[in-house]
Amino acid sequence: MALAKKISLSEEELVNALKRQDTIAIKALYDMYSGALLGVISRIVLHTEVAEDLLQETFVKIWNSAGGYDSSKGRLFTWMMNIARNLSIDKLRSKDFKNSNKNQDIENNVDFIDEQKKVSFNSDVLGLKDMVTLLKPEFKDVLDMVYFKGYTHVETAEELNLPLGTVKTRVRMAILELRKKFN
Amino acid sequence: MEEVKAYIESGILELYVLGQLTATECSEVEAMASKHAEVKAEITAIELAMEAYALENAIAPSAALQDKILAQFTETVAEPIVVPLYEVKNDVRIKTLRYALVACVALLVISVAALFSVYNQLKVANNQIVSLSSEKDKFASTVSKLQFDNAGMQNQIDMTETTEWATVKLAGVANSPKAKMLVYWNKKNKSILINHSAMDLPKTDKAHEYQLWALVDGKPVSLGVFGDNAKDAVQQMETIPRAQAFAVTIEPTGGSVNPTMEKMVVMGGVTI
Repeated sequence: MALAKKISLSEEELVNALKRQDTIAIKALYDMYSGALLGVISRIVLHTEVAEDLLQETFVKIWNSAGGYDSSKGRLFTWMMNIARNLSIDKLRSKDFKNSNKNQDIENNVDFIDEQKKVSFNSDVLGLKDMVTLLKPEFKDVLDMVYFKGYTHVETAEELNLPLGTVKTRVRMAILELRKKFN
Repeated sequence: MEEVKAYIESGILELYVLGQLTATECSEVEAMASKHAEVKAEITAIELAMEAYALENAIAPSAALQDKILAQFTETVAEPIVVPLYEVKNDVRIKTLRYALVACVALLVISVAALFSVYNQLKVANNQIVSLSSEKDKFASTVSKLQFDNAGMQNQIDMTETTEWATVKLAGVANSPKAKMLVYWNKKNKSILINHSAMDLPKTDKAHEYQLWALVDGKPVSLGVFGDNAKDAVQQMETIPRAQAFAVTIEPTGGSVNPTMEKMVVMGGVTI
């Protein structure tokens, strides 16, 4: 962790600074959310270097698309999170990434991700144990596949051999559990 | 309300926050959220939960990555590029112009010094011209005085040599015992001349001049006026056929009808 002072702004200040293209916004966003965004990216794209490139791309896109963010439709983080996840999924599915990294199709790479997951989660993630004990495994699996691994809920249902309705319910239940913990 | 509750419980809001919906489905959710505050509140609660979950699962990027990413933004936004207004080759021209300027200033200083010196010499020359010209004037006046006197002398000589002119000597009276002058009277045509170089009369001021009178049978007759500074030594006065005496009085400039007797300076009787 850098010793430099961390910048923390309110959501409104952040959005305003970002919209008028004040670089303090990027500095603050980086201080506040770079870890959370890299957490998401790293679980979709398992290669550290690629994940770091994607984090950079994510900030560039946040900066360039700031005008398109509408605070009435959702929180800033949700918007940034979706940018990070979409960029990561696009990268994962792009031909050059698959070729150069000899990756498998998203439909088939669950085992691969599960395998990799242990490494990256063990070393980097703080509070993971709390999470594990907090959420029932069947909820956590579904939520992580949708939230962290870039699966659609349809893909998740197929992958886990569950009815679509069950996946939806489990996602909702998992999030309700989280709300209980955090609120 | 039941409908809203069922909508919330359907799980579609979670999928909305997780970015799992199509654009059309998203628009539906947004429409519901703007219509029902509970839906909006539910979405926010889900968002906060997911945000907290993501923060819990954060992976801190390396310090190097932070520098790399933030540097990109400071680069693109700050540091305006300085573009020189002139091309580099103009520096040479500016240098040349600078030398030219120095040369000009030096030339100016020299010129001013030269001008000052010339001015001083000119002043000396001017003074010389003034003194020379005053000397010249002095000589000229001396010369003209000499010519004047010479003409008068010549006339006096001529007058004594000829038999045609009678010379009448006018002597000073009580007021001016030293005064004297000569009047020449032509015997034939009776014309009168006076010789300025051969007279010595009391000085007059600017408002007065001399008036020559002839006494004819006891009555004064004016023969004209004359001043101190005559141009010619010899001046012709009015003709008089007959006279017993001549006299000069000092009268206001222009002369008087009758002589002011107390201002008489010279007088002389005719002996012929």
